[in-house]
Amino acid sequence: MTINEHLAEFAGKPVRGFRYERDGESSDDHHRPAAGGTPASPGDVAWRVGTWFDGPSFGDVFQAFLDEVDTAAVTHLVIGYWGASYDATDAVGPVGRLVQAAGQLPALRALFLGDIVLEESEISWIEQSDVTPLFEAFPGLEQLEVRGSEGLGLRPVHSRALRTLRFESGGLPAAVVRAVGECDLPALEHLDLWLGTDDYGGDATAADLAGILGGERLPALAHLGLEDARIADEVAAAVASAPVVARLTSLSLAMGALTDRGAESLLSGQSLTHLDRLDLHHHFLGDAMVERVRAALPGVEVDLEQQEKPEDDWFYVAVSE
Amino acid sequence: MFTVVGAPGDRRTGLFAAACRAAGLAAPRVVPWAQVLRGGELPVVPGAPLRIDSPGDDPEVDALLRGPGDPARVGGGARWYAAFTAALGRVAAAAERAGARPLGDVDDIAVMCDKRRCHALLAAAGVPVPEALPPVHGYAELRARMVQAGLHQVFVKPAHGSSASGVVALRATPAGRVRAVTSAALTRSGTGSGAGSGSGGGTRDGSGPGLVNSLRVRVHESESEVARLIDLLAPDGLHVERWLPKAALGGRVLDLRVVVIAGEPTHVVVRTSHTPMTNLHLGGLRGSVAAVRDALGTAGWERALGVCAQAAACFPGSLMVGVDLLVGIGWRRVAVGEVNAFGDLLPGITGLPGTRAEGLDTYAAQIDAVLAACAT
Repeated sequence: MTINEHLAEFAGKPVRGFRYERDGESSDDHHRPAAGGTPASPGDVAWRVGTWFDGPSFGDVFQAFLDEVDTAAVTHLVIGYWGASYDATDAVGPVGRLVQAAGQLPALRALFLGDIVLEESEISWIEQSDVTPLFEAFPGLEQLEVRGSEGLGLRPVHSRALRTLRFESGGLPAAVVRAVGECDLPALEHLDLWLGTDDYGGDATAADLAGILGGERLPALAHLGLEDARIADEVAAAVASAPVVARLTSLSLAMGALTDRGAESLLSGQSLTHLDRLDLHHHFLGDAMVERVRAALPGVEVDLEQQEKPEDDWFYVAVSE
Repeated sequence: MFTVVGAPGDRRTGLFAAACRAAGLAAPRVVPWAQVLRGGELPVVPGAPLRIDSPGDDPEVDALLRGPGDPARVGGGARWYAAFTAALGRVAAAAERAGARPLGDVDDIAVMCDKRRCHALLAAAGVPVPEALPPVHGYAELRARMVQAGLHQVFVKPAHGSSASGVVALRATPAGRVRAVTSAALTRSGTGSGAGSGSGGGTRDGSGPGLVNSLRVRVHESESEVARLIDLLAPDGLHVERWLPKAALGGRVLDLRVVVIAGEPTHVVVRTSHTPMTNLHLGGLRGSVAAVRDALGTAGWERALGVCAQAAACFPGSLMVGVDLLVGIGWRRVAVGEVNAFGDLLPGITGLPGTRAEGLDTYAAQIDAVLAACAT
C-alpha cells in the first residue's frame, strides 16, 4: 500500500484548498481543487494550506491564509507540503507557524499535519518536528493527525479536549510511543499509531506500549490501532493481556506483519468477544489460523483481508518507505 | 494488401491481420524483422501501404539487434538503436523501390525511439514536457546535475528502452539519502525488496555484473547500489527528466496512453499503479476513462487530448503514435512523458465516442484511416 491521494475529507468536513498563486503557478496545480463555489462560512470546510516543490515558502502561503480567510471561524485545518531541508529553498516546518498564529485560530479543533503523498515524498522523508507546543497553543484541539516521523517529537501532554490522535508513519520513534502512553488524555476515544519498521526509525518495542496498554490515562478510549507494525506479533502478545482492551469496542493490528504466532497470542489471551470490530487486514496468517480467528470471534466483525505471503522470508508491513 | 514489417506469430501482427480480415481485406504480407535485420531483398507489396510494427520480443530478433545474450537483460540500447535505425533505412529503401507507402515515417520512428531526441523535438514545438537534465554519463554526474537543477526526484530512462525497461524513479538528497525504484534487478546476489513491501534495507549485496528485467518493481536504498545501477545503465545513453507528481484516483497514481490516428486522439487507456511505474506488466491496472474525464472536467479533458494531438503533430509522417500523457497531481497540468511509435497495442479498446474511430480498435481504426485517405 502506498498513500497516493490527498485527503478529500477530514474529520467530517470536505477539504478545501486555500489558493495561493505565484509566477503563474498556483496551489491548485498541486492539489485537486474542490468542486463547488466559495463555502458559505470558513467554518464549513477543512482548509488545506500547503506549498509545492519549487514553490513559495510555506510561511508565505500560511501568512496569506491568515490574511485572506476569516480564520476566527476556521475549525479544521489540513497542512499539505511544506518543503524539505533538502529542497533548494529554506523549508519552514508548520508547527512553529501554527503556534504563532494560535490567536488567529481560536476555533481550531481538528488538525492534519502532512497531507503529503508518495508522488511528493516518501512518508519516511517527511520532516516533522516536536508537536507538543500544539497542545499548549490549541487547548481546544479535539483531533490531531500526523503523517511522517522524521524528526517527530512529543512530550507527555494533558488535554481534556483531545478525542482523536493518529500518527501515520513508516517508523514511529519509541520516544513518541512512550510519550503517548504518558499523556493524560481523559477524552481520547480514538488512538492510532503506525509503528512501522526499524529501518525507518520505528524502534519501539512492545514494552514501550505499556503506558497505552495500561490505559490508566486513557479512560475514554474506544478504538486502539497499533498498526503497520513489523513487531505485530509482539504487539499482539502484549495486547492479549492489556487492561485497556476490556473497554475497547474496536481494535486494530492491521497493516502489519502479524503471523500465526501473534494470532495464537490473541486467541489464548483475554476474551475479545466484546469487540464490535477487530481489524487484522494485511497479515501473514495461514488459512487454518484465519478460520480459527473467525470461529473464535463469532459476534465480532473481523477484517482478515489481504492475506500476504512473505517475500524471501521477509514479513513486510503495508506502509514503510 | 498491406505489408507488415513485424514479428510473425506476434500478438500485434495477429491483431492487425484480424483487423484486415474484418475490413474485407486480404491478409497482410508479413515481412519478418529477422529478415530485415539479416539483409537481403524484402518482399514488400508494390504500391501498397506498408505498416512498420514493433520488432517485438522474439529472442532471435533481439540477438540480431542487441547481440547475443540473455534476452531478459537490461541494456544494449545503443547497439539496438544502431541496428534498428539501419534496418529502418533498409525498409524505407525497399518501400521506395516497390512504390509502397510507409504508414510510419522511418525518421519519425527513429526520433521516437530515442527519448532524448523525442523530448527535444517536443520541447522545441512547445509541447508541455517535464524539464530534462543535460546529458549525464554516470551516477556522480547525475547527482551533480540534479543539485544544479535543484531537483530531488527524477526519472532516469535508458535513451532507447521500452516498456519501462531500465527506468528508474530516483529520489536523492544532497546529504546522500537515496531511493531508487525500478524493475531492473541487479543480477547475481543483488535481489531488491519489493516496492511497498517495506523491507527497508533495500538490497543486500548487489555486486552482480549486470541487470535483468524483472516483473517486480524493486527498491534500492543503498547509495553504492544505486550508483552501480545507474552506472550500468549509463553507457547506452540516459534521458533524465523531472519526476512530476502524478494525479491519483482510487488510491492509485495514473497516467494515460492516448493513441492518435491521423491527427485525432482516438483511443485512451488509463494506467494506474501503487508504484511510480504505471506499466501494466509491472502490476499496473487499467483505470476508468470516465473517472479521469470527470476529474479533469470537460475543458481539462479537451486540453489533455489537445496536447496529445500537438505531440502527434511533431511526427507528421506517422499515421499513428501512442502518447504517454502525465496528469499532474492537481489535475490541471498535463505533460507528455513519451511518444511511442508502436504504442497501439491496446487490445479490446475501441475509439472514443464522437471520433472517427468510435467502435473500432486501434488496428481497425488505422485501416479505416488508410482506406479513407485512398478514397480521396
